[in-house]
Order: sequence, then structure tokens, then C-alpha cells
Amino acid sequence: MLSTTLGPLSLHNPVLSASGTFGSGWEGRQFSDLGRVGGLVSKTVTCKPRPGNPPPRIVETPSGMLNSIGLENKGVDYFVAETLPRMRQIAADGRAAHGAAPRLVINIGGESIDEFVQLAARFSAEGVDALEVNLSCPNVQEGKLLFSTDPRLTEAAVRAVKKVATVPVFAKLSPNVTDVVSIAKAAEQGGADGVTAINTLIGMKIDWRKGRPVIARGIGGLSGPAIRPVAVRMVYEIARAVRIPILAAGGARSAEDVLEFVCAGASAVEIGTAMFTDPALMVTIVDDLTRLLTAHRTSIAALRGTAQAGQDARAAAPACKPAEATR
Amino acid sequence: MRQLRDLGGGSFALEVEGPIPATLPGQFFMLRTERRWPVQLPRPFSLYDCADDGSWGSFLLKVVGEGTRALCDLRPGEGVVLNGPLGQPFPADVDDPVCIAGGVGLAPFLLLARQRARAGERTRLLFGGRNRAALAGIDDFEGVAEVFASTDDGSHGHHGLVTSLLDDLLARSVVKPGETVFCCGPDPMMHAVAKVCEQRGLRCFLSLETYMACGYGVCNGCTVEVQGPRFKGWPYSRTCMEGPVYETCELTELQRH
Ligand SMILES: Cc1cc2nc3c(=O)[nH]c(=O)nc-3n(C[C@H](O)[C@H](O)[C@H](O)COP(=O)(O)OP(=O)(O)OC[C@H]3O[C@@H](n4cnc5c(N)ncnc54)[C@H](O)[C@@H]3O)c2cc1C
Ligand SMILES: Cc1cc2nc3c(=O)[nH]c(=O)nc-3n(C[C@H](O)[C@H](O)[C@H](O)COP(=O)(O)O)c2cc1C
Ligand code: FES
Repeated sequence: MLSTTLGPLSLHNPVLSASGTFGSGWEGRQFSDLGRVGGLVSKTVTCKPRPGNPPPRIVETPSGMLNSIGLENKGVDYFVAETLPRMRQIAADGRAAHGAAPRLVINIGGESIDEFVQLAARFSAEGVDALEVNLSCPNVQEGKLLFSTDPRLTEAAVRAVKKVATVPVFAKLSPNVTDVVSIAKAAEQGGADGVTAINTLIGMKIDWRKGRPVIARGIGGLSGPAIRPVAVRMVYEIARAVRIPILAAGGARSAEDVLEFVCAGASAVEIGTAMFTDPALMVTIVDDLTRLLTAHRTSIAALRGTAQAGQDARAAAPACKPAEATR
Repeated sequence: MRQLRDLGGGSFALEVEGPIPATLPGQFFMLRTERRWPVQLPRPFSLYDCADDGSWGSFLLKVVGEGTRALCDLRPGEGVVLNGPLGQPFPADVDDPVCIAGGVGLAPFLLLARQRARAGERTRLLFGGRNRAALAGIDDFEGVAEVFASTDDGSHGHHGLVTSLLDDLLARSVVKPGETVFCCGPDPMMHAVAKVCEQRGLRCFLSLETYMACGYGVCNGCTVEVQGPRFKGWPYSRTCMEGPVYETCELTELQRH
């Protein structure tokens, strides 16, 4: 009922942590039984250590928050030596206790295609369950243009990663583009096994008394319920355009929200900012999903993409003209 | 929540039913209301007071925004969600610390004074505010700590800033060079205290009130710039994990001033 697949990867339920919002799971393991979640997605790992951005890095905004962490992490060597074993421990505990373990997805970030390739090779060799490619990284060879904003760069990065990866590869898309569907298609073209949608939306909060932005770097990424409608729309549009599975992210904080994303076309959903409010939330959502799906005698697989069919049926009937619809 | 005690000056003691897990002075909890929480993120607060058996605890709150307002609007019987204790406490190996507080920075010191009193040890507390009304909570220290108050307007205790009170106590040898200060309060006050401590040869630990999102180490949002062996060369530290208590020599920004 709860099980789902992300292309070649099967999950015992559709609830995963979102990159950068749950560390490696280690800090949060005291709050709930993480062996019961579908997957743990690591914070973005980069080749070299990155100290991250100066503080203040976060501020709450209406129904969400802005962050500018700057991919703070101690680099791949440290991650493999210190963090990955802890993630494996959580998975092993889950397998021992429940016969099913959360999938370990490593989110990688590179400043060049070569760095992405190095990371993909390294983690494939480590035998992790999947890779999530954080395309919201500046490409230093292309004047710091973000991989995620250009279909050509997206396709090239994914293709290069796929060439060396021996585990499924998901391309994590940025919403800060004119046409997210073309980027998703580029990722599919590059051979991605799936896409993750979406990363944060860029925003800003200004303290007018001080006459400057609250976050030291000025802009930050908006996350939380504020971005959920944007994420749902993007998942919906991407689902219409590509054949590969979608891992949704963006403001989900309940089982209802997870099912909304599934209905839009997602196969699984990442929980991010909501984990800050309730560190046990993922497990609560798994329980609530079981209850909801049982009550409605349905399953994740049966619900996936149902909004698409519903909308197609409505579109077939006489509807308002597009010009009117946008008013 | 069990009771809300109005301490005046916009401050309240929010008392909650236990069990309150064993907590050391300087550790904090993330709080939110169970229903109608008007904001997204929970808010960090030091544990103010606690029953010996943990059957109840209290938090000292000053209303500054929507989150603190919602917590102080709770009625008895309504739910508070607590996550904690979190963070590192004030160092336990300091024999006879000099505690210096401003505003709700008073919070960690009641727990400290109580735990010390139970062990038969005294606690000196220097508490400064603009006026008498800004010394909310001072009465709770009766019989628990030796309190030295200061007000900017002279309406209670020493007339002047808490730093001039510290100077005064140093002159009277109530506080001696070489001793250790624990300080919690608004940033400008903590910076001023840190400076006096440096000039007068006192060790000084500050409890920072940084903006936090998760409080349990997963967002990397609460960092401060640090230096020193504890951080193994890494320039940032999460105040919710390695803090909120730092020795002044560890805080890079303070060292720059
Ligand atoms: C470890 C720790 C312990 C704390 N202990 C206490 C305590 O015992 N009692 C108490 O009253 N407060 C304490 N604080 C501060 C308290 O967390 C903030 O006052 C609270 O988060 C404000 O929430 P709000 O929604 O009411 O205000 P918001 O609407 O979030 O903010 C209102 C105003 O307060 C400022 N502000 C918000 N958060 C903070 C913060 N963390 N530090 C300084 N300014 C802030 C904002 O910039 C804004 O100007 C502590 C903070 C930390 C990090
Ligand atoms: C504090 C914070 C840090 C994040 N760090 C990363 C990161 O390192 N890599 C990444 O791909 N996404 C990162 N994200 C984006 C999230 O993984 C997620 O895509 C986004 O926040 C939307 O989901 P949410 O609204 O559920 O948080 C971060 C988000 C937040 C709030
Ligand atoms: S508040 Fe999230 S890491 Fe400290």
C-alpha cells in the first residue's frame, strides 16, 4: 500500500528527508525510529570542504523561511569516513527492526562536471542506494552559471554522472527558471533515472530599520508551505512531460500534502523545513499515510498522477479559453 | 501549560507540567504551542526553573514577536510542545562563577543558582536593566543567590550599567580578578561585559541568543564564527550544538573588536 518505486529503486514507503534539512539523520535519530522512513537524503556533499556563508543565514518568513547556508560541509573524505557509516548504521538498525531499511540517497554538488563525476564514482564505489545531483551549483567553467538554469548544462552534467554511476541518479531541479519542464526533459535526455523537484525559490527579506537584507548574503532560498503550490504545479507539469519518476519536495508537512504531490504525479516526497518544527514528523507522516490509505482503500501506486487524468477529462469538456483562465 | 506568572515589564514565567528531563544550566528547549502556532519554526528558550523531580518546569519569556506572544497567550491546560534539553551547558567545573544577566538573559541563572544551592554552594548574580520594571524575575532569586542589581536610571540597586556594577564589585573585592564570569543578555551588554572581563583579567563565557530554525543541529542556520581547538580549524559552529555557551576567546567577532 505504501511501497513505491523510483525507477530502479524500490522504497517501502514514499517519505524521505530533504537534503540539507535533516543532516545525516544522526542528530535526529533520538526523536523517532528512522528505520521506518522510506529514505534518507544527505546534505549536499562537495569534493572539497566548504565553510559555508557568513551568518545570519536564516530567517523565518510568512509560511516558510529563507536560508543561505552556502552548502557548508566538510567535504567528501570526511563524509565517507564519518557521516556515511552513521547513515549505514541507521539503515542497518531499520533492517534489523523492521525487515526494511531506509534507502540512502547521497546528494552531490560540484562546481564542474568533473567534480560531479568524481563524486558519483566515489559514492557508486561506496555502494549507496542512489545519487541526487544538486544542479543548483555554480559552474565555474561557465562563468558561475548554475547547472540548473541551463538545459544544455543540465543534460551534460547528468550524462557525465550517469556514465560513471552504478546506482540510480536523480537530478534535483531548481524552480528559479522560466521553464522547468525543459530542464526536466534535459535531465531525462541525459539519462537521469528520475528528477527531484523542487529546490528552494530565491527570495529576500529586508530589515527597513537597518536598511539592509536580514540574511548576510542578501538573497536566500525560500522553503516551507509558502512554496508548496509552486512545487505541486511544477511536479504536475513535469509529470506530463517526462517518463521518469519524480521525487517531490517543497513545503510538505503532512500525509495529506504527500498525497497531494502523489496525485500531481510524484512517486515519493521529501520532507524538509517541516522537520525543523517537529523532528519526529517523517514517522508521523508514515503512520498517517497508512491510516489514510486504508480508510480510502487505495495506495500510493493507485493515486499517482490521478490529477493528470482528472484534468485531461476536464480539458476534453468545453472549458474557458486560456486568456480568460489567466485573468 | 499549568500557569502563567506575570513578572511585569512584558515578561512572564510560563510554567509547564512535566516530566521535564534533567537539564543543566545554559541548556535550552525549543517551544511551540500545540494548537494555533502562528509561525513556522519553534522558538528557543532556556529552562528557567524546574522541580527537583522534574514534575514541572518553567520558562522566562519576554514578548517580542508572534511566537512569544502565542506562548504567553496560552491558558492553563493548553498544550506546549517541548524539545530538549538541547545544547551545551555552562562549564560545570567552575568553582564559584560570577553570573551576569540582562533582561531575559536571567533565565539560565535561576536553574544554576538552584542546583548550586542544593549542593550548598553560593551564587553571585549581577542583574542589570533600564529600570526596576526591567528586572523581571529578580524576586525569584531570594534565598537562592546573592543578587547585585543595577539600573540605568538608579531606581533600584546600583545606578548605572551592569558593567559599572562589575567594576564596583571588583573594587570592593566581591569579585576578584582570575574568577570566571557567566554572562547572558542582549548582545551589546554581552560585548561590554566581555571587554571588561578581558581588561580586568576575568575568564568569560557568554550564552548567545542566535536565531535558530531546528535547534537540534540539522539546518546549519544558527552558526557563529569561531576559532580555537574545540572547532578543529572549522570557522563556524552551530550554536544549538556546540553552543549556546562559548568562551569569549572562541568568538571570532568579539576578538576583532
Ligand atoms: C539558546 C537561546 C535561549 C533563549 N532563551 C530565552 C529565554 O529564556 N527567554 C526569552 O524570552 N528569550 C530567549 N531567547 C530568545 C527567544 O528565542 C526569542 O526572543 C524568540 O525566538 C522570539 O520569537 P518571536 O516569534 O516572539 O519573535 P520574532 O517575530 O521571531 O522576532 C521578533 C524580534 O525579535 C528578534 N529575535 C528573534 N529571535 C531572536 C533571537 N533568537 N535572539 C535575539 N533576537 C531575536 C527578531 O529579530 C525581531 O526583531 C533565547 C534564544 C536562544 C537562542
Ligand atoms: C536550511 C536548508 C538547507 C538546505 N540545504 C540543501 C542542500 O544542501 N542541498 C539541496 O539540494 N537542497 C537543500 N535544501 C533544499 C531542500 O532540500 C528542499 O528542496 C527545499 O527546502 C524544499 O522543501 P521543503 O519546503 O520541504 O523544505 C535546503 C533547504 C533548507 C531549508
Ligand atoms: S538551529 Fe539548526 S543547526 Fe542549529
